[in-house]
Amino acid sequence: MSKSDEKIICRCEDVTEAEVLIAIEQGATTADEVKRLTRAGMGHCQGRTCRRLVNQLLAKKLGQKPEAQRPVTQRSPLQPISLKTLADS
Amino acid sequence: MANHSDVIIIGGGIIGAASGYYLAQAGLKVRILDRGYLGSGSTGRCIGGIRQQFTSEGSIKLMMESVRLFGEMSEELGTDVHWHNGGYLFLAHDQQRKESFLQNIAIQRQAGLQDVRWIDAYECRQVAPGLDINGLLGGSYCPSDGQAYPFAVVNGYAQRIKQLGGQVSTFAEVSDVIRTGGRVKGVRTVQGQEFLADVVVNAAGPWAREVGALAGIDVPVEPERHEALITEGVEYLGAPMLVDYRSDGGYFQQFKHNGQFIGCYSPVPNVPGHSSDSTYQFLSEMPRRMLKLVPALAPVKVIRQWSGSYENTPDGNPILDRTPLDSFYVAAGMCGHGFMLGPAVGRRVARMITEGGTKPPLAEFALERDFSSKEAMK
Ligand SMILES: Cc1cc2nc3c(=O)[nH]c(=O)nc-3n(C[C@H](O)[C@H](O)[C@H](O)COP(=O)(O)OP(=O)(O)OC[C@H]3O[C@@H](n4cnc5c(N)ncnc54)[C@H](O)[C@@H]3O)c2cc1C
Ligand code: FES
Repeated sequence: MSKSDEKIICRCEDVTEAEVLIAIEQGATTADEVKRLTRAGMGHCQGRTCRRLVNQLLAKKLGQKPEAQRPVTQRSPLQPISLKTLADS
Repeated sequence: MANHSDVIIIGGGIIGAASGYYLAQAGLKVRILDRGYLGSGSTGRCIGGIRQQFTSEGSIKLMMESVRLFGEMSEELGTDVHWHNGGYLFLAHDQQRKESFLQNIAIQRQAGLQDVRWIDAYECRQVAPGLDINGLLGGSYCPSDGQAYPFAVVNGYAQRIKQLGGQVSTFAEVSDVIRTGGRVKGVRTVQGQEFLADVVVNAAGPWAREVGALAGIDVPVEPERHEALITEGVEYLGAPMLVDYRSDGGYFQQFKHNGQFIGCYSPVPNVPGHSSDSTYQFLSEMPRRMLKLVPALAPVKVIRQWSGSYENTPDGNPILDRTPLDSFYVAAGMCGHGFMLGPAVGRRVARMITEGGTKPPLAEFALERDFSSKEAMK
């Protein structure tokens, strides 16, 4: 199966559902760990699109309650900003 | 006994993971404990640079070994660690810096690093497309230096450790080192679990002093905050890691595997203590410093900033040794170079433990040493 046939969880970093499931099998129990193992959430949108999907997979696989899940570390900047704009700020 | 291992390693950063891997390979039953996830300390916060350009023979040789190990790593661990020998270029904008680089190059070649050389400004521009060479005299260039992706390395080691029968406990903070009769027996965690072992290794990076204190051993490591940022991925330019030692300089490189630029600088004055705060000052200052060197990067977007700790010793060299407490070892204080040193240091840790003896693997990394000399290429 080519990557394009698979279910994509993180569009920015092109991470498939299968890759997230492997990370969970390897011991990831939090969205932060999944992020560091697969890069899902490290892309251009910084996880705004995929975080919910990753949390759903964790909940399903590990029987976690959504309210018990550890929040992902949020890092600035909140929107991508060019080096030039930042340098001039 | 279920909770007994041959070796317990406190800290699941690069040093703990590499040490654990080589110990497991030597047939020992290993358990790594980390209070967070693997790589949650300095390792996951570093910028992935790997170089052999140091000024002490011990460090140069150790790093040559590490570079060789990084080169074999993807195959050995069965996972792509994104090793790429994109090189390192140290820039000299004044005569004094040039002289010192020339001296260092002589030392490095003497130690066996053959491909390091001085290149003039025009050649700098050739190896680093887009580099502004205004006022540049040239640089110290080593094409066999490189980069790798820290999380892939740490996780690759951890998977192998598990395959070899070892164990990895995350979110397990060690709060006690158990001792009897001058000998280490194991550790206790905050959660109250006890793990016993014949040998315990302190690989707690910036927290090595706190962990050492649990065993009554002083490990002179001081944390120091360093900030970093990363951009979106763009087309790979093929430039080496650029290092600008001027007070308004910095270091940055582009990852080959995804085209992201990643960089940091050493703040003046330094910021001592444990802290993972990020500042707006860095978020505007670092782009200024990057654009000063490579103006064409202006439109590239920053997507994330963070910070982590360097783990400094008084002389800028690591501590890799036995301790006065029998069977308690320390491998920490990598002084901001722990990711690159990791593979070679991990091998030394394993050898020190399996071969026994009383001498430290390298005299310059001994726990009890004269800390007054300095590593110049920090
Ligand atoms: C911004 C920045 C850029 C850097 N760039 C580079 C670079 O390009 N190249 C390079 O080689 N190095 C770089 N470094 C330095 C490098 O990150 C460190 O030297 C290296 O990661 C140290 O590895 P370590 O395993 O000793 O420590 P760590 O990775 O910090 O691992 C120690 C672990 O111990 C755990 N721990 C602590 N206390 C306890 C406890 N009581 N119980 C259980 N676990 C505990 C921590 O959670 C941590 O995971 C950089 C550092 C920073 C901050
Ligand atoms: S969709 Fe995952 S980071 Fe954007």
